[in-house]
Amino acid sequence: MAFPAQVEALVKQGLVWQGQQAPLHKSPSSVLTTGWPELDQRLGGGWLQGCVHELQLQLPFIGELALLFPLLSQPNITSLWVNPPAVPYAPGLSYQNIALSQQVVVQEPDDTLALWAAEQALQSKAVDLVLFWHATGLSAAAVRRLQQAAEAAQKTVFIITATQPKDDARAYAMRLRLTKSATAQLQVAVLKRRYGWPLPPFPCAIESRLPKRRRAL
Amino acid sequence: MNTWVYLHFPHLLLDYQQALQPPEQNQAPYALFESHAARRTLVQVNAAALQAGVKVGMADVLASTLAPSLRVHRYSLSQEQRVLTQLAQVLYQDIAQIVLYPPQGLLCEVRSLVRLHGGYQAVMTRLQSRVEQWPLRYCLSSGYSPLAAKLLAEAGTPVVTDDGDSVQQAIAALPIQHSGLAGSHIKKLCHVGFITVGDLLKRPPAEVGVRFGRAVMTYMAELSGTFKPPQAFYHPPDKFDEKVELSSEVSSWVQLLFPLKRLLQQAESFLQSHQWSTRALVIRAHHRQGPSTQVSIQFAHAVWQHHDLLQLSQLHLERQQLRQPVLALSVRLQRPEPRQAKHAQLLAGATTGQDQLSALVSRLQARLGERSVQSIQYTEDWRPERQGGVQPWQFGQQPQPLKQQRPCWLLPQVQPINRQQWQLQWGPERIVSGWWDAKPIKRDYYIAVDQAQRQGWIFYSQQGWYLHGWFT
Repeated sequence: MAFPAQVEALVKQGLVWQGQQAPLHKSPSSVLTTGWPELDQRLGGGWLQGCVHELQLQLPFIGELALLFPLLSQPNITSLWVNPPAVPYAPGLSYQNIALSQQVVVQEPDDTLALWAAEQALQSKAVDLVLFWHATGLSAAAVRRLQQAAEAAQKTVFIITATQPKDDARAYAMRLRLTKSATAQLQVAVLKRRYGWPLPPFPCAIESRLPKRRRAL
Repeated sequence: MNTWVYLHFPHLLLDYQQALQPPEQNQAPYALFESHAARRTLVQVNAAALQAGVKVGMADVLASTLAPSLRVHRYSLSQEQRVLTQLAQVLYQDIAQIVLYPPQGLLCEVRSLVRLHGGYQAVMTRLQSRVEQWPLRYCLSSGYSPLAAKLLAEAGTPVVTDDGDSVQQAIAALPIQHSGLAGSHIKKLCHVGFITVGDLLKRPPAEVGVRFGRAVMTYMAELSGTFKPPQAFYHPPDKFDEKVELSSEVSSWVQLLFPLKRLLQQAESFLQSHQWSTRALVIRAHHRQGPSTQVSIQFAHAVWQHHDLLQLSQLHLERQQLRQPVLALSVRLQRPEPRQAKHAQLLAGATTGQDQLSALVSRLQARLGERSVQSIQYTEDWRPERQGGVQPWQFGQQPQPLKQQRPCWLLPQVQPINRQQWQLQWGPERIVSGWWDAKPIKRDYYIAVDQAQRQGWIFYSQQGWYLHGWFT
């Protein structure tokens, strides 16, 4: 399809939504592969750089960290963990090939300061990834600020929070909801994504990186 | 050939006190006085006071009539000497041989620097730009002998040149009152008809010696440079612990930032002259009564530039409260260490990445507190709660953990569970350890799923079933 030059430029930047299921103009530089082919295909290549992603959890520890294992275990990725819900456990992370010396953990009960820390990390060249746990969900202003900071520095941010009501608009580039199906598989629903419609829940095979069922007692 | 340069600061203490304040506060007339019996005379005045007609040597009563808003403060010789030493430390970055002439003068040897900087004028420019970092009024003069430079600077008729003859002419034209001789000698010389120093220098020294005594003869030899009295050169101290007195009470950290900045600049020049960097400093605020408020600041990476020091200190101070007004501020550097040479460019990327991470951690620690920024640690112990955990940030290589199937989350406290709700998937793995200390454990660990099909790490001990971690 041919567009006038100006429109073409906008399409290249990914600012025009074209109504296809998958975007035509995937630029591999601006995405980080999730490590899960079924997820990559639906998200148009992977996690977006310079964007804030929201992971809504039906229950804590449902599989959110396992979903991020492939990303965290990439070499040369330094991450900041803000207010993780439990102690990140060295032997387990190391088993998943995550470099311990490249993880910085911040525990700060005050929301303003925690957001400040996340913003500082985004401005620093040292950190590539920010994981931010928040029990109830961030305010619209906070998300917008983080999104701006992430966009300026081209860093990826994940906000991990509880299930949010549907009608709350936020500046997230991508919103995913993680649930468990009756068959024990992790289901990922895309509530919002760039260049596309929301998608119904689909299974994601995170079990491949988890302990296998070896013997029944 | 002019080997020496003399810097004279006629209003050193006053200018220094003003330098510690934001510039807009210096618009008001301000002066320092000295008491002689009942009489109080002004010894140093600022520019605003000079404009109002106040002069050095005036009685303070007269001065406050001329400028009603004049603020006066007692002059302190010991404070001024301390300021002079601090100044010498700043200049030491450029000049190796400095002699202190308390309370207001610094003598520098510049001959040895001419080749380094490529010309006499370049040395002067460098020296001037260094001095002008501080808003001090000064008079800088060259001289072929220390005394010649000193006299010209103190008389306020400076000559800045490499040419010995023009210095000689300026010295010759100097009135005998500015000769720096003792009062009785000046009186005698005047009576004989010597008006300028030049008149004296024209006479043969031996005859002058017969007539006026040895002191004048030595003076002439010293002035011409034939007699070289030994000079006590300045050596920078090995410790940095500087204090500044504020001219008025201050009740918030924000107002203290300005003097703090000056102190940290001095700290930088101290570190620079030793080629050191630091990881910790202590800021103390001294009050009129009671113990001083002490803020100790740690950095995750070694720093030495004053803007780094200031930025991190500022974040620390935002968390502090001042209970009383502050009269003086001091900064002490702790644990200075030699700067580490950076390795070759081959690994430059990795090193700068590490540096940036350390810089980020320093910043976060400064604002959030040291305990809030943590790193994930691994320890060689079989007890799960000891094997891994988080500790206040420290950088360094860690032992590589064994490849074991372990959860990625560990609960800070084990949670009692109802065994009926869990379905065992794998196990048991028996961990019996720690019998040598107070916290032995004897547990059977299982991987199990709960009702929501989440994989957890549970154990059975004599007390019952507990949840200890999550795999997802």
